Amino acid sequence: MGEALEILLVEDNLGDVEMTKRALRTASTPCRVEVASNGRQALDCLHKAGRYEGAVTPQLILLDINMPLMDGKAFLDHVKVSNDFKAIPVVMFTSSESARDVRDCYERHANGYVVKPFDGQAYAAAVRGVIDFWGSLSTLPQ
Amino acid sequence: MSAMNTLRNDNAQGSGTQPKILLVDDRWENLLATEALLKPLGASIITADSGEKALNLVLENDFAIVLLDVQMPIMDGFETARLMKTRPNMRNVPIIFITAISKEDHFATEAAEIGAVDYIFKPINSDILKSKVKVYLDLYTQREQILQLNATLRQSNEELERFAYVCSHDMQEPVRMMNIYAGFLAEDALSQLDEDSQRHIGYIRENAVRMQKMIRDILSFSRIGREAIVLETIDSQQVFSEVMQGFEDIVAQKQAVVTAEGLPVVRTSPTLLRVLLQNLLCNAMKFQDGSRTPVITVSASREGSGRNAMWRFDVSDNGIGIDPVFYERIFQIFQRLHSFDDYTGTGIGLSTCRKFVRLCGGDITVRSTPGVGSVFSFTLPDKA
Repeated sequence: MGEALEILLVEDNLGDVEMTKRALRTASTPCRVEVASNGRQALDCLHKAGRYEGAVTPQLILLDINMPLMDGKAFLDHVKVSNDFKAIPVVMFTSSESARDVRDCYERHANGYVVKPFDGQAYAAAVRGVIDFWGSLSTLPQ
Repeated sequence: MSAMNTLRNDNAQGSGTQPKILLVDDRWENLLATEALLKPLGASIITADSGEKALNLVLENDFAIVLLDVQMPIMDGFETARLMKTRPNMRNVPIIFITAISKEDHFATEAAEIGAVDYIFKPINSDILKSKVKVYLDLYTQREQILQLNATLRQSNEELERFAYVCSHDMQEPVRMMNIYAGFLAEDALSQLDEDSQRHIGYIRENAVRMQKMIRDILSFSRIGREAIVLETIDSQQVFSEVMQGFEDIVAQKQAVVTAEGLPVVRTSPTLLRVLLQNLLCNAMKFQDGSRTPVITVSASREGSGRNAMWRFDVSDNGIGIDPVFYERIFQIFQRLHSFDDYTGTGIGLSTCRKFVRLCGGDITVRSTPGVGSVFSFTLPDKA
């Protein structure tokens, strides 16, 4: 499984987690997914702390915005100032269409911003599109 | 007379809702006399015996009126008034000059330039002074009341809009879930479901889609006024064409004939014009009974002149029309005249139009003949 793309999915909604995983199974690149349900857990995962002991450093982070404890923007701030993690591409995956949120995230150096589509098939296509781009078209840092 | 006690009545007292009057005169006997005269009016009276002291008081207090002696040593009344008027909190405060100078043109001109609203000549006629001050005090009190009312209104408006925004924003997620999982159920398990259950899943999806539309419409309604309005010089004929591109499917489906000619270049918010044309054209095609080809025209004309010049746009259709008793109601949020099954919609579009266009200095109205058609007219200030 050395070829699999290591993904950290930061998402508090179980429905979205399941849908994203379901879509990932049909992506062109094989993926392995670790899930964190808020920014705090995601930080634990990056630091391989607590229940994430032995976790693999992700190659791509899919990040929701609205989450309890630590939201997506705050987590993004942590990632993008850390020398260890700032090279990891972070793609926002959120239901917010607000221009303000879009701007906020790019200003925090998000690498992409995708609005979760309302329709199931479009949702799966969006996830696949993200994986196609980052998993096969792009060259990722080692 | 107890005037001596209150002569140095500084800002520590008389605060709260009591309006404050500032008396400025270099002669203490004048201050004393005027204060005694105005005391029955119920305002808090603060005195200063020089322009400099008066300026200090203005820094610390909001006054309703200033009574200013013109002839004072060091800094005279004009100079004092001029400096006072540089303070933001003094901009709307009436200054009444008290002077012994006889009526001369240069005095009146100078006073007017500074922004003084009135002057009184010595020797003071106490009745005139009192009644003048009373008028200004009343004006001040009324203005304060209106300002306070405005502030309260603005606050509750803001709260309501924030509420609508947060609500809609957070409601989008669960609705999306319902739609997607009902969709999964339909895809994965349809063969295991009987006819009733299949139909029920259909209802869930249809209603999730409908709710999603409502949420989006409430969002765009509540966004108006929250986001800054940016004015641009735009070709409204071009905006019309862009809007029509989005309607290609409906136009084809309804076989509608939609035309616009000679629409002007206007300086307005492009978002506003797009919202107006989108909603009005969509409605014009939607509210048709199918008995005839929908014919819709957009035209514009210039009304008024100078600073009051407006562009007036008419969107006319040959649809089902609206009973005049509903002319106002259709512009209110969530008001619908038809059942959802007859004509879809959220009842938010026209209220969004009205809110937006009024915010930009225009308005929107309708005239209609039931069974014949409607004309929706909106105006935009001509700022070109």
